[in-house]
Amino acid sequence: MTPQQQMPVVYLENVSKVYGRIHALTNVTLGLSGGVTGVLGLNGAGKSTLFKLLMGKLKPNSGTIRLFGEDPWKNPAPYARIGFVPENEKMYDWMTALEFVSTFARLFGMTKDEAEQEALRVLDFVGLADVANKQIGRFSKGMRQRTKIAHALVNKPELIILDEPLQGCDPLARTTINNVIRELGKSGCTVLVSSHILTEIERVTEQIVILHHGKLLALGNLHAIRERLDQIPHTIHIRGEDSRGLGRSLMGHPAVFGLNFPNEHELNIQTFHFGQLHQDLPKIIVEGGHKVELIDNPDDDLESILGYLTGGQSHAK
Amino acid sequence: MARDDARAPVTGKTRLQAAWGSNTGDEVEDIGMAALPKTGEIFNQDYKPWTGTLNPRWMRNWAILRHHLFGVFRKGYRPWGMPTRIFLVIVFIASLTDAALTLLSGILGSPELHQLWGVNRNNLYGHNLGFFPRNILYYPIVTALLVGGVISEDRHHGTSALYFSRPISRFDYTAMKFISVALIQSLIILGSYILFYFSEIIAMGRGWAWIVDTFPIFVAGLIAGILLIFTYTSLGLAMSSISRGRFFPGIGLLAFLFGSKTIAAIISGLFERDILYLLSPYDCLAHVGQALVGTQLSYTQYSWTWSLVSLVLMNGAALYVLASRVSSMEVTRE
Amino acid sequence: MQSNDSPMSPKRFDRKAAAVAEFTMKQYTKRISTWVILSVGLLAVSIIMLFYFDTMLREIEAVDNDYDSFDPDGDGYPSGQERLYGTDPYFSESHPGKIDPSILPDDPSKWINEDDIDWDALVVGSVGYDDDGDCRNAPIAPSAQDGNRDGIACNVRINENQFSGGYTIRGDGYVDEDPDDEIYAKEAIHRATILALGKFGFVFLIGIFLPLFMATGLIRDEMESGTMHFLIAKPIRRAEIFLYRLLGFLAITYPYVIVMSLLCAILFGFSGPSDSVFRLSDIGIWMVIAFATLLAILVYGMMFSMFGVLWKHGIILAIPVAAWELAMMFVSLWEPEASVLRFSVLGWATMIIDAGALMLWPDMEYMIEVGMWGGGMAPLQGAEQLMVFSSNPGLGLSNFSSFIVGSVVLLIQALAFWFVGSALFSSKEVA
Repeated sequence: MTPQQQMPVVYLENVSKVYGRIHALTNVTLGLSGGVTGVLGLNGAGKSTLFKLLMGKLKPNSGTIRLFGEDPWKNPAPYARIGFVPENEKMYDWMTALEFVSTFARLFGMTKDEAEQEALRVLDFVGLADVANKQIGRFSKGMRQRTKIAHALVNKPELIILDEPLQGCDPLARTTINNVIRELGKSGCTVLVSSHILTEIERVTEQIVILHHGKLLALGNLHAIRERLDQIPHTIHIRGEDSRGLGRSLMGHPAVFGLNFPNEHELNIQTFHFGQLHQDLPKIIVEGGHKVELIDNPDDDLESILGYLTGGQSHAK
Repeated sequence: MARDDARAPVTGKTRLQAAWGSNTGDEVEDIGMAALPKTGEIFNQDYKPWTGTLNPRWMRNWAILRHHLFGVFRKGYRPWGMPTRIFLVIVFIASLTDAALTLLSGILGSPELHQLWGVNRNNLYGHNLGFFPRNILYYPIVTALLVGGVISEDRHHGTSALYFSRPISRFDYTAMKFISVALIQSLIILGSYILFYFSEIIAMGRGWAWIVDTFPIFVAGLIAGILLIFTYTSLGLAMSSISRGRFFPGIGLLAFLFGSKTIAAIISGLFERDILYLLSPYDCLAHVGQALVGTQLSYTQYSWTWSLVSLVLMNGAALYVLASRVSSMEVTRE
Repeated sequence: MQSNDSPMSPKRFDRKAAAVAEFTMKQYTKRISTWVILSVGLLAVSIIMLFYFDTMLREIEAVDNDYDSFDPDGDGYPSGQERLYGTDPYFSESHPGKIDPSILPDDPSKWINEDDIDWDALVVGSVGYDDDGDCRNAPIAPSAQDGNRDGIACNVRINENQFSGGYTIRGDGYVDEDPDDEIYAKEAIHRATILALGKFGFVFLIGIFLPLFMATGLIRDEMESGTMHFLIAKPIRRAEIFLYRLLGFLAITYPYVIVMSLLCAILFGFSGPSDSVFRLSDIGIWMVIAFATLLAILVYGMMFSMFGVLWKHGIILAIPVAAWELAMMFVSLWEPEASVLRFSVLGWATMIIDAGALMLWPDMEYMIEVGMWGGGMAPLQGAEQLMVFSSNPGLGLSNFSSFIVGSVVLLIQALAFWFVGSALFSSKEVA
């Protein structure tokens, strides 16, 4: 094995990028290989900057970037193994989806026929085979996004980077695109998806990178991150027939530090040790013979994690 | 509501009409009440009409005008591109060469040089309408750089919506754009022209007799200059209204000015027929200017009134295009 | 994927080039502005052509260059006839009818275009022949028959001009003094029109305005609209994108220029003055014009595309450049050998056409000199036009060398702009 192959697919070491006086990225170190990874952050957190640095569009002020072991700045060679879906909305509206995808397929060195075949294959993959010969200008937002995704798949990439692929899409389109992303993750590609809408990411991946003000806030499994935030109070919301009875049973549990009853049938539990409580909760419920309709942890989405991680000052829009 | 009730507060609905319609916004019109839906009510919508008083029309227009005009000098107004501003300064300084030479010849006290450089009929004509370099390298480029960003950029960036969602009629919008572009040019062309005239008075200590003698020529040159600015501006803005890019109107204007001039010059040189000069805005302006100022006419195959008619037609066509394009402009980001 | 067959390997270049160029071409064809610009170019050339046809189809009025068809004394005999017989053209009692045997008056038209120029090259020495005999046969003193004092009666003497390097033509009185205006004027105007159209219609109007409208946005428009992100995220070098986009631009403009010049060659070939139906000999000059225009488009295309990469407002630089080139166009008319022309693309491109024209029409200098001499009186019709629109290539080189030097300089400029543009684009941050 060469050292290059041991290197992660995406590798950043102490990367910083400054625009004038704005620090877009500060000392980001990151290594990713395989699976779907969500890149998360508020607007201006540095997600797009990160992707542009990866795609060699920007030059880092300091640090090292490696894609498949190669520096992407001024070196388009690694892009042969990458599919990139840019954020911008503008496309070539006068082209048909097939023309759009096959034109860019030819930039990978395919012949015209090969490119067309590949284009049809990927358009079929994203579910646009039946409209392949329609002009992009007539497409809906979701179809345009899918065309963009398709154009990034023609080279059977090992790394796919999607910059805000769900932005502005309706729920139906989101589901379709999410399915496509999940499918790609399963096929063994390394997939990077950015978003500022956390529930979107949640549906496709557990593995996340959180950026805030250009700094890497957290990296890892969504729940693992959650566990590490045990110092921060979490809320578990339970609805059942006898909420007060359940409350009494829970009172003695060491992880619980607060209970409140919004109404007769509902109970909110505050805890510092979310994992521990989650483990014990079923036992307590069963032993106490309580009837429970719903257990929900409203905090356990990415939005609240981001809120905690950033000091609670902001929620993603 | 009666029309004479001019001091009545302008309500929100009228304001909206003013913004999206083509009237001035000062008209107070009857407000029709929309019929209430008969079946089902989803939610109650409380609409509070704005009860303030709208500033007069001129004040709103002045806001647009100064936004463009002051942008040349300082920050906080329309940011004209740095190259544009640098070029404006260069052209202004270059336009002052004749004033500087007049002062110089006055200081040197050389009557021969003053004959050449000082204020006279030909030099007053030449300041505004001289072909080389003023009407190749200076004034058309100034117009081209200015008109490029005026209407087409609004369309390109969708910022026209910022204007049209306010109580500004499209006519006022266009007129203010026109006046601001024309005023910036006037500052350069006519400003340096006036300085040229005054530098003569100062350098040679001219008295009232001289001023009385030359003032009609000065005014004629001024009118010729105004005609030049008006024509270039209306042609340029017409180009600006039919395109989206910042760059297209500028080259479009130059292509028209230079292209028609080149073809006319080729035809005149080869076949000794001047008739195509009627299609060249610069040559029409020069012909009319020569007649106004009273210098020797260099177009002899037809009367200067033909050139004047051609100018009127050109301006008419350009203003028509401008008006119809702006009134049918979609207020979206294109 | 094998390494020698990777997307970056050189053998894949042609496919990528074709893809980008084809894409760029399609992009042009979808824009209305492209068609407007191309039609306006066609319109401009057709206007010039219309005036040319009008001139060629009209009969050029035969001018009596030596005024000898007139009859100043009113005796019915044109003054040329009177001079031939030695009578006094200004005295009505003296005319050839009075001599014995009596001679009937000539039709005045006989004394128009009656003495054509009898030599067809500028050779130093004695040339010319007095066709109408009003020098040879007129009863005048031998000294009057040798007005140029070269010792030969009734001839035209051509000498090299020691100061200007050209020629001086000095004819004896009434020798070759009334040439055929129609033949000369049509040939001269034909050539002058081709040169004017080539230098200013093709090289200036088409050569500069097509790139100005079409090439400035090749890179910049894509960067502004964000669609550049699609292109540069592919395994293709930025320098390649810069070049291939320009190839797409050339793929539209080159056929246009070639078709336009072919059209002109055909139309001018059929309508130009010629013994046969078609002036085959003019094909060469149209090839030279097309060649110079293609080079100009290449240089301007590279330059304006480079301006677009330079910085956001970079394309504004193209506006002063266009104005400068217009100024240079007028300079090349008034002062064709001015060295300031070497600071313009137009100057070099017109130099190619000038050199080519002098190579293909070796008698150009003769046409101009003889036309300006015009039989010793006023210049012939068309001579001044030819003098204005034809010029020496400058630099003091031979025509062939000028042609080569002009082409090489333009190619080097194009390469330089390509190099700078690619280098700038490669190290540009595309946000």
